[in-house]
Amino acid sequence: MNLLPLFQWFDSTAISNIIRDSTYIFPVVEVFHLFGLTLLLGTLTITDLRMLGIGMRRQTVAQVATQLAPWTIGGAIVTIISGFLLFLSEAMKCYGNAAFPWKMWLLLAGLIVYFLVQLRITRPESRVHPAMLKVVAVLSLFCWYGVAVAGRAIAFV
Amino acid sequence: MDIQSICQAISDSSIGTQLRQSTYVWPAIEAVHVLSLALSVGTITLVDLRLIGATLRNEPVTDVIEQTQPWTIAGFLLAFISGVFLFWSEAERLYPSYSFRYKMVCIVLLGVNAIYFHQTVYRSVDKWNRSTAIPARARFAGWFGLIFWMIVIFLGRWTAYNLK
Repeated sequence: MNLLPLFQWFDSTAISNIIRDSTYIFPVVEVFHLFGLTLLLGTLTITDLRMLGIGMRRQTVAQVATQLAPWTIGGAIVTIISGFLLFLSEAMKCYGNAAFPWKMWLLLAGLIVYFLVQLRITRPESRVHPAMLKVVAVLSLFCWYGVAVAGRAIAFV
Repeated sequence: MDIQSICQAISDSSIGTQLRQSTYVWPAIEAVHVLSLALSVGTITLVDLRLIGATLRNEPVTDVIEQTQPWTIAGFLLAFISGVFLFWSEAERLYPSYSFRYKMVCIVLLGVNAIYFHQTVYRSVDKWNRSTAIPARARFAGWFGLIFWMIVIFLGRWTAYNLK
């Protein structure tokens, strides 16, 4: 499947042009991308560390996970919306970029791990083996820090 | 010798020059800076949100602070060390930048805020540890941290665009 026309279309939308033509919109959107990322990675890391049994041990996994989930999800929403706007303004740069597909696949994997697995196994009523919690936590850390590293790499490769 | 020429000498040094010209080391250091920032500011945000009563309200304040502290400190040390190297590589451009200067001032203010909080209202934490009615001075410390860390991130990103 050739994705070039799709990327060209993203690159040529009205929003793409508005962001490109402005001196300030891109940096401002990128700042929001970083705010969201800090919230997302910070709260998710604490949850993952609790699942690994090396942080917040005075609380149960469910206590940490359920109370932090709204902040993780809120952070994810801010990061993804701002990230999509950044992408629109430089879709063609992303098209030829070796790090971009890595970032997208890791992001997809991270979202699947979080929403389909992690949220379920950390509910108060869920009964899973502690080893399962650890495996999921490692996967989660790998995916999301991978997204961040690949994202930073886009600017350099 | 004024500060500008000292900064010029710092970035002209062999380490500064090698950092600037490297293909992989500089991006790697910057990646470490961003990831450790997420860890330190992320965990600080958690404490601040607890102080303003926005999350983890069922957990004692001391549990949140004591258990996140090692990660906050580790993240901050990594961010600080990687930041020193980033500064080393372009000191003469960063020193005159207003966004960089304000960023440094904000970090100092945040340090003062944290020390002040720990030395004053946190000493009587036993009285409000499990409460959602948190003393105004503790809530102030929380709001201060939330707002000024956001400003630090904003100014850090702004510096990169050289939009003084």
